[in-house]
Amino acid sequence: MSTVALPGVEAATADGGPRRRLSPWQAWGLALLAPYVAVFLVFVLYPVGYGLWLARHPQSYVQLFADPVFAGSVVNTLIFVVVGINLKMAAALFLSGFFVTARPWIRWLSVLFILPWAVPSIPTILSIRFMLNPEWGVVNQVIFRLTGADGPNWLNDRWIALSMAMLVHIWKSLPFWTMILIAGRLAIPGELYEAASVDGASVWQRFRFITWPSLSTLYLTSAILSMIWTLGDFNSVYLLTGGGPADLTHVLATLGIRYLRLDQVDLAMATIVCALPLVLPLVYFMMKRLSR
Amino acid sequence: MAPVSFNNVAKTFGSTEVIRGISFDIRDGEFMVLVGPSGCGKSTLLRMLAGLEEITAGTIAIDGRVVNHVDSKDRDIAMVFQSYALYPHMSVRDNMGFSLRLRRAERSEIDARVMRAARILNLEPYLDRYPRELSGGQRQRVAMGRAIVRDPKVFLFDEPLSNLDAKLRVQMRSEIKALHQRLKTTTVYVTHDQIEAMTMADRIVVMHDGAIEQIGTPLELYDRPDNLFVAQFIGSPAMNVVRGTLRRTGGAAHVETADGVRWPAGSGGVDGQGVAYGVRPDHLELVGGGEPAVPGEIVVVEPTGSETELVVRIGDAQIIVETHGRTTLQPGDTVGFAIDPANVHLFDQASGARLAP
Repeated sequence: MSTVALPGVEAATADGGPRRRLSPWQAWGLALLAPYVAVFLVFVLYPVGYGLWLARHPQSYVQLFADPVFAGSVVNTLIFVVVGINLKMAAALFLSGFFVTARPWIRWLSVLFILPWAVPSIPTILSIRFMLNPEWGVVNQVIFRLTGADGPNWLNDRWIALSMAMLVHIWKSLPFWTMILIAGRLAIPGELYEAASVDGASVWQRFRFITWPSLSTLYLTSAILSMIWTLGDFNSVYLLTGGGPADLTHVLATLGIRYLRLDQVDLAMATIVCALPLVLPLVYFMMKRLSR
Repeated sequence: MAPVSFNNVAKTFGSTEVIRGISFDIRDGEFMVLVGPSGCGKSTLLRMLAGLEEITAGTIAIDGRVVNHVDSKDRDIAMVFQSYALYPHMSVRDNMGFSLRLRRAERSEIDARVMRAARILNLEPYLDRYPRELSGGQRQRVAMGRAIVRDPKVFLFDEPLSNLDAKLRVQMRSEIKALHQRLKTTTVYVTHDQIEAMTMADRIVVMHDGAIEQIGTPLELYDRPDNLFVAQFIGSPAMNVVRGTLRRTGGAAHVETADGVRWPAGSGGVDGQGVAYGVRPDHLELVGGGEPAVPGEIVVVEPTGSETELVVRIGDAQIIVETHGRTTLQPGDTVGFAIDPANVHLFDQASGARLAP
């Protein structure tokens, strides 16, 4: 093993001596770090920097804010994140309680339950889109057969379509978060529940005083992480509604693509910059939690 | 305070029978220890009493009321778990007051009762700490505090000292016993450690393989074990047992082992019967030559200060002998032992049952 002296690297010694050679330990450290730094520069710093460069014109933002589709997308994004994620996490919390019950048939059920998360999203979301087709989709056919009435035009109303996009998102990612919370629940010693039972706790009190205090940190961390991921969830909205009807169901993640397809690259980048005030506080909060 | 009674209680997990129809009564205020090797069903029995396991058959009654279908929380019991099961996110004070809080007791009453329990257990300086900030012994005391705050009808202990080091275990043993003498609450205590059972219990239930082998006071079990299992389980060091044939000629009797050694025996059993011959280590007396003695050869000498434990080869058997005081004996020395036939325990070779007396 040889030592490498990097030019320009000066280590001040205690006695103020001249430049010192790097120890093998430090040299190896630098050598192993170098590929990561290179990848970071090429694949993270450069694209992000280039994106910000493209979004540098104030005129882009004036134009963006003037576009009614943008305001709608911000509202949709907020609804998606606040309502969708909280519904999903609450459902995951409830379902995790169900799936930790040790019964053989529940174990089999959990295998089925995990499927939506395991299957690839593009074909499944597209097939849900077909199922929701008002004329020949299977959902409305069933409704017609059962009631004789026409079903709603699922993807042609802003709120129904947005709700459906949220439902697809929940359906797709619920298994994952349920699994995470199941793992959290399994880490709680069973004797705590037994002690609480003997102490006189009801089912609700056992949740309130044992499960929730043990799980709340994980729950909050999961919710934040899910929000960060969902801000970038392009599939659920784009594949189901394509942002329609009349660009009313766009979220920030799909709006950028819309502008790209209209050859408005600077607006697309400005959209992404506008998502930063939503993402960065979450990321900051997350990093603080994780580094505690 | 309340009596507890088990009536033909059975428990099966799937097709495995872990408790085989057990019946016994615990008196009001009694300290009853369930003891047995691991897997004997003692913990399961305790958990059935606590309402943490379903009762497959039979009935359990607390204070005369059958509790088979009564929830844990309505049985008026308190339990100390092996792992202590302290609520990690609650302070010692909140841990101890939790059951009262669930019962919607007045804040002032909760405080008063927690303080009283804390005084009894010397926990006052730790009331605002969290379980993770306490040592093993302190946690153990908090678990007991949580139980006594309630003033329940019955205390249940499930191997509460197993997670403590040997010194602390001895100390907590006497603390629990002192606590019982002070509160006089009916107590059911599960342990696999027969010394704990002997030192703490008013009465002991010895369990094996889902059934009761014997119930009695510690000294009854020690002096007159009903069967070979109890004889070998109770007592430390364990009873010496050799197998042989009972020879009864006239008034005298002895057991002859395959190696030709003749062990003096008392009454019980018939001539020619195959028996297990048991004698406790402190019932073999070192004697000089000349007297009718069982000859042996010293293998190991283990002095503990006040007593000396000898491992002796008698015939083909390795026998433990406990002598008081110190000895100048060396490994390889040949010695003789006198055995008082009154101190001999005879068991049927096949069934293990005690032969009279």
